[in-house]
Amino acid sequence: MSDYKALIEAVIKGDIKTAVAETQSALDADGKARDILDKGLIAAMDEVGGRFTKGQMFVPQMLRSAKTMKECMTLLEPFFQEGDITPKGKVLIGTVKGDLHDIGKNLVSMMMEGAGFEITDLGVDVSPENFAQRAKEVEPDIVALSALLSTTMPAMRQTIEALHKAGIREKVKVMIGGAPVTEKYAQEIEADSYASDAGSAVNKAKELLGVS
Amino acid sequence: MEIPTFQPRLKVLNQEQALAIHKAALEILEKTGFKMEHPGALEMLADAGGKVSNGDWVKLPAHLVDEALKSAPKQIDLYDQKGNKTMPLVNGNTFYGTGSDAIFTLDLETGQRRRTVLNDAANFARLVDGLENMSFTMSMANPEDVPIEDIYVYVFAEMVKNTNKPIVFIADSGRDIVKIYQIACQVAGGEDALQKKPFVLNYSEAISPLRFPENVMEKLVFCAQKRIPICLPSGSNAGGGAPVTLAGALALGIAENLVGLVVHQLAGKGSPFLFGPNVSVLDMKSTVVSYGAPEWSLSQAALADMRDEIYGLPIWAFAGASDAKVMDAQAGAEAMFSIINAMLSRSNLIHDVGFLEYGSTSSLEMVTMADELVAMSQFFAGGVPVNEETLALEAIERVVRGGPGSMFLMDDHTFEHFMQAQFLPKLLDRSRYDSWAEAGAMDLYKRCNAEAKRILSEHHVEPKPDAILKEIDLVLQRR
Repeated sequence: MSDYKALIEAVIKGDIKTAVAETQSALDADGKARDILDKGLIAAMDEVGGRFTKGQMFVPQMLRSAKTMKECMTLLEPFFQEGDITPKGKVLIGTVKGDLHDIGKNLVSMMMEGAGFEITDLGVDVSPENFAQRAKEVEPDIVALSALLSTTMPAMRQTIEALHKAGIREKVKVMIGGAPVTEKYAQEIEADSYASDAGSAVNKAKELLGVS
Repeated sequence: MEIPTFQPRLKVLNQEQALAIHKAALEILEKTGFKMEHPGALEMLADAGGKVSNGDWVKLPAHLVDEALKSAPKQIDLYDQKGNKTMPLVNGNTFYGTGSDAIFTLDLETGQRRRTVLNDAANFARLVDGLENMSFTMSMANPEDVPIEDIYVYVFAEMVKNTNKPIVFIADSGRDIVKIYQIACQVAGGEDALQKKPFVLNYSEAISPLRFPENVMEKLVFCAQKRIPICLPSGSNAGGGAPVTLAGALALGIAENLVGLVVHQLAGKGSPFLFGPNVSVLDMKSTVVSYGAPEWSLSQAALADMRDEIYGLPIWAFAGASDAKVMDAQAGAEAMFSIINAMLSRSNLIHDVGFLEYGSTSSLEMVTMADELVAMSQFFAGGVPVNEETLALEAIERVVRGGPGSMFLMDDHTFEHFMQAQFLPKLLDRSRYDSWAEAGAMDLYKRCNAEAKRILSEHHVEPKPDAILKEIDLVLQRR
């Protein structure tokens, strides 16, 4: 039991029923919620992340594992005090003004959540002012901007300006991504990071915040 | 004896399948509905019988679709910029051309992948102008050196300056499409002339699933009113904007296309609408939309069958692209797979030729190679003509009965027929090993690179009159 092997395997496989059952029996056997979380669920998701990066797992499987972990978490939550579970970081994410595309953004959100980040998703067509306003409220570590249309990319620059105007640019790291976005453009608008896909977005986020 | 030559044709659906997918599309429109974010279009749909709820959610009764399918023209004729009808989009006519915004391109001199600039749009247009089997051009560039608010106007002007073939163009909204239209009218000689002999077709996209943004609808309505040919394929990619199973992705993509068609015909009854969604796949590891996947060829083959069974409208398709990052064997394999299948499905307007890296990088070499692959496919799709001449019984008798040294190579029949009877490759190399080695042992990529350079330096594009070029500059300067 203390090696949580069966739990880990169930999370990796995306077998919600078994994972939940294993979590429950771990709790029933006087297992500490913290242990189950760290040595069971998080260990499983680290393994999932590794396999996915190596191309050994597919996105739907990885998302299913994340969902499985979430289901198990609901059993553990009552055992944690407020503030006990600290996310790796807080991310505020949205698709920029004028752009309604969201698949990429949704994928980045899901993967970051699976990796232990706390996500606030503002949706699509988010104005620079809205980004700045919500950033003041949420106080994220990272503001993540997505665009699929090259014609909406200027809104990324405008959003960074809005963060400056609101006096919070220094308090956040800005990450950008999307099909027409390049490393060069990120440097041009003085974003902190650029990621070419959801998987690397997670890694870049960890880099930016100095977490693993 | 006149024996008709069977035209090889790929069929992937039976009638039941076609009807079931179409029925599913209608059900999506009637029961699920869609988000119409253009108030004018919303009003048109409501007036025509669409059911609106929650402000902008619309459900359409099937009869609206039937009416639109009836009023849309079954043939769309595209002309070149000199007024010749070069692309009659009807029945099994196939026409190939390049693709739109590519963020990167393979530099012709260095082979490096670099960011595209305006001059790349010029080069791709000129290359298409000089390639026999490319019928139309698209920009192949999303240039970083022009103001982004008018990027598509600049790119359109560049294409106009560098080719006389038809142009499939992109616009952002009702604002810049007007400027592009102004340029097109200058070239054609006025609005009426452009309407009668359009050399342009607009490519716009709704957002899967089932979302119709205002700027997209602006363009659709504009084209319907001005009778500019347009297509509205959404990216209903299996596992991305659409269900992962192809039948569902097709049903959704077609449903979205039908929304476009209904709005289009309400705004301009009888205006030309090129039919068809883009149904590829979202790769389940890399999450790119694949440009080399067999699913895209299969889904558009299915659409072609549905055209023949149900729609009767000319259809939009893709071919000649790859997910490979360089022009290697994968690029060749994936390009040929889609090129031959698009031709055998008899898709009408086939774009994206010359893309690498799932549409992110354009390559002059790739376009050049694809031109030859299209020629090879055309030869195959031409079938086997059977008549007295081709059966060659007299020639056989002659050669067999002739004395020693008699051979087909020397015979009149061969001399008269060989150029039509065989496919004569230019870039696909069949030379003997030694002569290939002596000539530099070049692979196909290098040979295409040399040929692209040759065409760009030697091919003469008939220039537009100065008066027109001046007018184009005026439009570009207008804010």
